[in-house]
Amino acid sequence: MKILDYLKDNIVYLDGGMGTLLHKEGLRPGELPERWNVTHSDIIVRIQKDYFDAGTNVICTNTFGANSLKFDDEELETLIRAAVENAKKARQLSVGKQEKFIALDIGSMGKLLKPFGDFDFEEAVSVYAKTVKIGAACGVDLVYIETMNDSYDTKAALLAAKENCDLPVFVSNAYGEDGKLMTGASPAAMVAMLEGMGADAVGANCSLGPKQLRGVVEEYIEYASVPVLLKPNAGLPRSENGKTVFDVYPEEFSDDMLEYVKMGVRIAGGCCGTTPEHIAAVVEKTKSVEPVPVVPNNRTLISSYTHAVEFGASPILIGERINPTGKKRFKEALRSNDIDYILGEGLTQQEKGAHVLDVNVGLPEIDEVEMLKTVTFELQAIIDLPLQIDTTDVTAMEAALRRYNGKAMINSVNGKEEVMKEIFPLVKKYGGLVVCLTLDEDGIPEKAGKRVEIAEKIIRTAQEYGIEKKNLIFDTLAMTVSADSNAALATLSSLNTIRHKLGCHTSLGVSNISFGLPNREIITSVFFTIAMENGLSAAIMNPNSAEMMKSYYSFRALHAIDDNCTDYIENIGKYIVTAAPAAAVLTADNKQSDEFESPLQRAIVKGLKEQAADLTIELLKTEKPLDIVTAHIIPALDIVGKGFEKKTMYLPQLLMSAEASQCAFERIKQQMASSSDGGVNRGKFVIATVHGDIHDIGKNIVKLILENYGFEVYDLGRDVPPEDVVKAVVEQHAPLVGLSALMTTTVPAMEETIKLLRKEAPWAKVLVGGAVLTQEYADQIGADFYGKDAMATVRYATQVMDSMEQ
Amino acid sequence: MENSIYVRRYSGDCDDFAANKREIYRYAGYGGLKDPNDETIEKLLGEVMDDCKSDLAYRVCYRRMELTRKDGVMQLPFPTDSKNLAKCLEGSREIVIFAATVGLGIDRKIARYRLISPTKALLMQAYGAERVERLCDVFCSEIAKEASEDGLFCTPRYSPGYGDLPLETQKDVFRLLECDVQIGISLNRSLLMTPSKSVTAIFGLREKKLTEHQKKCALCGKTDCMYRDREETEACNENS
Repeated sequence: MKILDYLKDNIVYLDGGMGTLLHKEGLRPGELPERWNVTHSDIIVRIQKDYFDAGTNVICTNTFGANSLKFDDEELETLIRAAVENAKKARQLSVGKQEKFIALDIGSMGKLLKPFGDFDFEEAVSVYAKTVKIGAACGVDLVYIETMNDSYDTKAALLAAKENCDLPVFVSNAYGEDGKLMTGASPAAMVAMLEGMGADAVGANCSLGPKQLRGVVEEYIEYASVPVLLKPNAGLPRSENGKTVFDVYPEEFSDDMLEYVKMGVRIAGGCCGTTPEHIAAVVEKTKSVEPVPVVPNNRTLISSYTHAVEFGASPILIGERINPTGKKRFKEALRSNDIDYILGEGLTQQEKGAHVLDVNVGLPEIDEVEMLKTVTFELQAIIDLPLQIDTTDVTAMEAALRRYNGKAMINSVNGKEEVMKEIFPLVKKYGGLVVCLTLDEDGIPEKAGKRVEIAEKIIRTAQEYGIEKKNLIFDTLAMTVSADSNAALATLSSLNTIRHKLGCHTSLGVSNISFGLPNREIITSVFFTIAMENGLSAAIMNPNSAEMMKSYYSFRALHAIDDNCTDYIENIGKYIVTAAPAAAVLTADNKQSDEFESPLQRAIVKGLKEQAADLTIELLKTEKPLDIVTAHIIPALDIVGKGFEKKTMYLPQLLMSAEASQCAFERIKQQMASSSDGGVNRGKFVIATVHGDIHDIGKNIVKLILENYGFEVYDLGRDVPPEDVVKAVVEQHAPLVGLSALMTTTVPAMEETIKLLRKEAPWAKVLVGGAVLTQEYADQIGADFYGKDAMATVRYATQVMDSMEQ
Repeated sequence: MENSIYVRRYSGDCDDFAANKREIYRYAGYGGLKDPNDETIEKLLGEVMDDCKSDLAYRVCYRRMELTRKDGVMQLPFPTDSKNLAKCLEGSREIVIFAATVGLGIDRKIARYRLISPTKALLMQAYGAERVERLCDVFCSEIAKEASEDGLFCTPRYSPGYGDLPLETQKDVFRLLECDVQIGISLNRSLLMTPSKSVTAIFGLREKKLTEHQKKCALCGKTDCMYRDREETEACNENS
């Protein structure tokens, strides 16, 4: 019998702890338990036989840490083979009469992935793939991925399992007392991602005892459409007379498990500290319980690496601003690879209340595949909102979905056969909620009825690919009402039918409706309101628009989605514009500015961002941009810089001033954009944290101060390979390169980078800095300058540029 | 002797975890200055501390092990010929190896604030550094209390990368403590830890109480370090 068939009508029992038992048998601290498959196979077989005898259906092989990071290929294969053999032998020897299966056990490889770790996602996939291939070839019944405490790592392991075998895959995560994974994901987020990718069962193991996992189990049962698995610890370990004991004994453990099985847990076992006695007690108490049927629920979920977003009564706001269409500044950012600008757009939208961010970086002249991959990745480093991957390039779509940490929205598919053929396999493989446009080979139907027919066809086709209706969201296409007065009605009517008759979620890019009309915000927001009334589940919109946000909060209050109008009361004030008493503030400041030559100078020295911006706007009315820079900003920076060097001012103050002057510079840049005068430019400076090093705060500080002093800084980020540094320096022909390293272990990478620079870019002066560096170190590795802090770096860089001019 | 890795988690709500602002300012680049005397910075720090509170997940994993000797030589559970460590552990009957972290949340927030406000990012960095040190203090004082029941006293703690104990020792510490599985710290190829606000250290438990407790900065030879606590070192110099 196959495991999934058996699972249909039965509670499946897993085994209990292995590691804790091996320690009792003499496994030494730090010794790798997988080696015992060969050296102590008798013990492994005995323990696993005891579990089978206790009533276990599925034994997990002793391969938790069997991966290519810990063992070379030959040993890895030997150990996994031996592990499967041991489990098979235990199955043969066991007197138990129950159905017996063997699961290839895969634990976390213990490396954090990028952006916070240094392990690449694809590298992780290939590590797990090796283990899966060997295990599957040995003849196991399923793959059991367990104790994963990071969602990205879990995705890598599941992807590896799916790509390298046809076996069922159970996935289990380890939650902390806060009910989250170590890297922040909630159970609902994990359910969304793992079900989307086709896990056959999901659940929790390790970390805590059964009682502490209650909230986690409840959340799994609420959200999961596949069987839920639970394998808790026997409580927490504590020391008693020099011996380790776990405080939840079989009696209590099995009582707790009985309760969970009655709630709907379908796969039960134990983790650290549990023994065959624990499992026997669980089997005994639950064997007569009627298994709770697994009923697929109709919840539409997407997720980020921390949380799930559910589509339901409350409309979801999808921020539309990460998109170059009609945006000059955005296009420029794409062309110049200015990722920070794009990230800034994301941060602003999150702050304004977006629930999801649409990501569209398509521009004919750039490499969209690389750009979409990069932007998706970088957004996920700093923003925890789910993303909507928006592209017509299928290769770019797959690259982004593959790397996406969570379950994304996919924008989009439509009724064209060819497009469905391309997109649906991606949805099936990586999971996702796919936006379906109601158009087909004949274009966008004018009539609502025809749009609904296309929707029906899309639903049927999706089913053929095994994609459920709940993972489709229909966009009935908002068209310009100024071009066709019936445009809005057709959109709304088909939307209403799809939402209420076909029972699918709906989405609209609402802004299109007002194209070509004056005061677009007003009509767009009214259209948005009517659409919500007709059953709009989500809108792709501009969260910076006050009118839209007013509609959103009002709709929720009026539709009993916002209890006691709490959100309305809390938020609506933000959208009421009051005339700012700016002038009064400015005069008041004038009086205080005695020790400074001007209020702007004072604002910058004191690090007052808003004031610096406002004062600059004021000054621009009467003074030339460049005069403001030379008469106000530069002197202010000098005061701060000298203060810092004399230790009358400190690093945080230096930074605050830098932020304030940046605000002033931005206003000036805006003013000068039309006059095409680039302003002060002292020269190009390439900056990077070296390969292997992931700490970048020092580098970021130096970058900010350099920008303040007029340098054009190319920030390559952190963990940058020497070749990439050289490439940028050569491309820009930059006269200055700054390298940062925090640890002794990354200084060799710095040295290597310098060597390569000397060969490929001999003109460049190399500045080094970072916690571990000293003048001696800098000399040793052949740097031109050791920058002990940001100001020292600026002084040297300025000096180099000055001498070049002479 | 027992063999297990133990995990302790803290909510951070109790008085033991009260923030030491002077330390935070020191990590932020104020040296030993008692009070930066700057309202704006103080306000920013207040915001940072409020903002980060929910991101901090205080966790420690550790082993407490017997320290045996062979021909008078300490038998540590990893290979080392560090004289500094041996000196630190001198006379110890047991050792405690531990790893402590405040979690990845604050690293994420720091990365985010790189774009929003570098000043806040710097203060967060400093706050995180102070938090993990405070966590180590709390943990060590708990162990000190427990050890005192057995008539034992703690030695100062010593970390891989200090003195002649190479950073490579981190690999052994991670193998012994399974830091990744237990509390979510990962060691990268350059032996850096993520979350970045993490500490690993070793200390001994000995029968004789140490009399003079020299402070870290005073012990260190790097006198031009921007983080050097000037008041502390001066006080120590005066005492000696």
